Amino acid sequence: MKLSGFKRELCGMILGLAVLAILPVFIQDTYLRHLLIMIFVYGMVAASWDLSLGYGGVFNFGHLALFGVGLYTYALLTKQLGVDPWLALAASGGAAVIAAGLMVIPILRLKGIYVVLLSFAFSQLILQVIVSQSDYTGGNQGMVMVPALKLGDHNMMRDKKLAYYYIALTLLSACLLFLRVFVRSALGKSIVALRDNEEYAVSRGVSLGRQRLLTLTGSALFTGIAGGFYGGYFRNTSTDVFGIDLTTLILSMVLLGGRATIYGPLLASLALTLLSEATADIGVWRPIIIGAVIILVLLVYPGGLAGALTAGWRRLSAMRTPRGQGAAINKVAS
Amino acid sequence: MTVLGQILLSALFQGSLYAMMAVGLALVWTTIGVFNFCHGVLMTLGAYLAWQFVDPEALGLPMFVALPLALLVVAAIGFALQALLIRPFIGRGDVVLVAVITTLAASSILKNGTLLVWGPRPKSIPPLAPDTIALGASNVSAHQLAIIAITPVVLGLVWLFLNRTRVGLALRAVAQNEDACQLVGMNVTALYALAFGLAAALAALAGIFFGGFKFMSPDMGTEPLTKALVVVIFGGIANITGPILAAYIIGLFEAVSIYYVGFYWTPALLFAVLIVVLMVRPEGLFARSSRGLA
Repeated sequence: MKLSGFKRELCGMILGLAVLAILPVFIQDTYLRHLLIMIFVYGMVAASWDLSLGYGGVFNFGHLALFGVGLYTYALLTKQLGVDPWLALAASGGAAVIAAGLMVIPILRLKGIYVVLLSFAFSQLILQVIVSQSDYTGGNQGMVMVPALKLGDHNMMRDKKLAYYYIALTLLSACLLFLRVFVRSALGKSIVALRDNEEYAVSRGVSLGRQRLLTLTGSALFTGIAGGFYGGYFRNTSTDVFGIDLTTLILSMVLLGGRATIYGPLLASLALTLLSEATADIGVWRPIIIGAVIILVLLVYPGGLAGALTAGWRRLSAMRTPRGQGAAINKVAS
Repeated sequence: MTVLGQILLSALFQGSLYAMMAVGLALVWTTIGVFNFCHGVLMTLGAYLAWQFVDPEALGLPMFVALPLALLVVAAIGFALQALLIRPFIGRGDVVLVAVITTLAASSILKNGTLLVWGPRPKSIPPLAPDTIALGASNVSAHQLAIIAITPVVLGLVWLFLNRTRVGLALRAVAQNEDACQLVGMNVTALYALAFGLAAALAALAGIFFGGFKFMSPDMGTEPLTKALVVVIFGGIANITGPILAAYIIGLFEAVSIYYVGFYWTPALLFAVLIVVLMVRPEGLFARSSRGLA
């Protein structure tokens, strides 16, 4: 039963990715492709955050710092040390994982708001280190002329972003598969158990420390890689990625999309990136409108977009036969 | 002035500003149980509204009318924010998380709203006291001294309010046990509004302090909010005396570190110390582990 459920999900995933893979045939416009690339990048970051925030219940407010770690790892390695861009991309994921591992140490014993505060402090620490090392990192100015990703002799500048599109899509697919397998595994289940009833889960032999470490490092992997890709794509870095604005945007993707779904944040990344671009011409009104939309959606749909969709879907499928334990329990309860 | 004197003066001055910001954050956290990321932008609004009331180009009211008026208006804004952003989510299991994102979103709205209304040109409001005072060999601005003197008075009044008046005691009671308060017929909704309004007014006062010695910009609240966060983490958010002490300690730490270690390393050092403190005492240096005021 469970296997067939995952097989079905896998089929849906492959179908969705196949649609995205042939999309560039119809979308020739460079700008639209750029938008899709941004949706993929933000989607990766938001979906990864969903692993620690939604499934793990660990409110890691320094998630975007992991993105920044990936970004600066890529930029420093390629520009200052001349490392091959692909190697640097892999290293950016590794560096983010290490950073997340370090971050876990202080928050291991903490709960609730203290996790928020400490992970925030941690992200500020990373930011301050980057700013203070301005000889290498460019400080507050950031770095420019960061080497781009290379594909053999292919000219990445003149293909209307086709190569970047497929790289981003490949990374997104790998990220999505990784996250879904993670949360469906026994490990993922134990993480949810820790979130829902920590004492009981621990008493049943789930290791809080190890599981938290795996949750945060798991959420860091593709966040860091996304950061590295971001560096190779834009070819510059900025300390803005540590700022409150990007955190707000990505966090609202997680919350608007619906927590503990992985797909929800991807969906919200699509919606919010498009909204953000559609309102690009109206200057200061843009953040005002986006902020208002975030608040309104949270007021009307507490479960986010995915919550609204699954509620509709459940209603539909409940008209047929009740499936799985959840539906059965719901039925008994009602 | 001696090095020691300069370090102490800077510590007291920065500590006063940090304390003024941090107490409001702690007040909201203890009574409502949410973290208010609008706090920085409330400070910005306080400064801009004070400018609006006092500046000859705008309304040109005298200081003693304009400043209290600005505090009142910001308190009202805080009240409205609370009703819009936090009140509807109270009782939900994820209220802490949702409040983070709603207050972040509102802070973005208000920040850009400020930019829209007052424009990007830097402004400043007149200092509380215009002169400089000779202290030993060097001159110190009277505005800074005024801030150092006023802050303990204001914070002392807040402490008295929370500990010696019926309404203040009610606020602390809500902080300790909301259900019981509801059972004995206290108006919890009104107390929430009061806590938020009071916190907003304190933030506005900090904004007026800032606007008197630095140029104002719509983004001016971000850094003080970050510092206030550090202060409440350091001092513990479970009461208001912890953050006040922590504010002065951090002011001193920064002054010493800037002098001996250097300007660029000070923030990194501060955050490193902070993380170590939290590892040893997660609930902050001066806090008992329970949530309660004063």
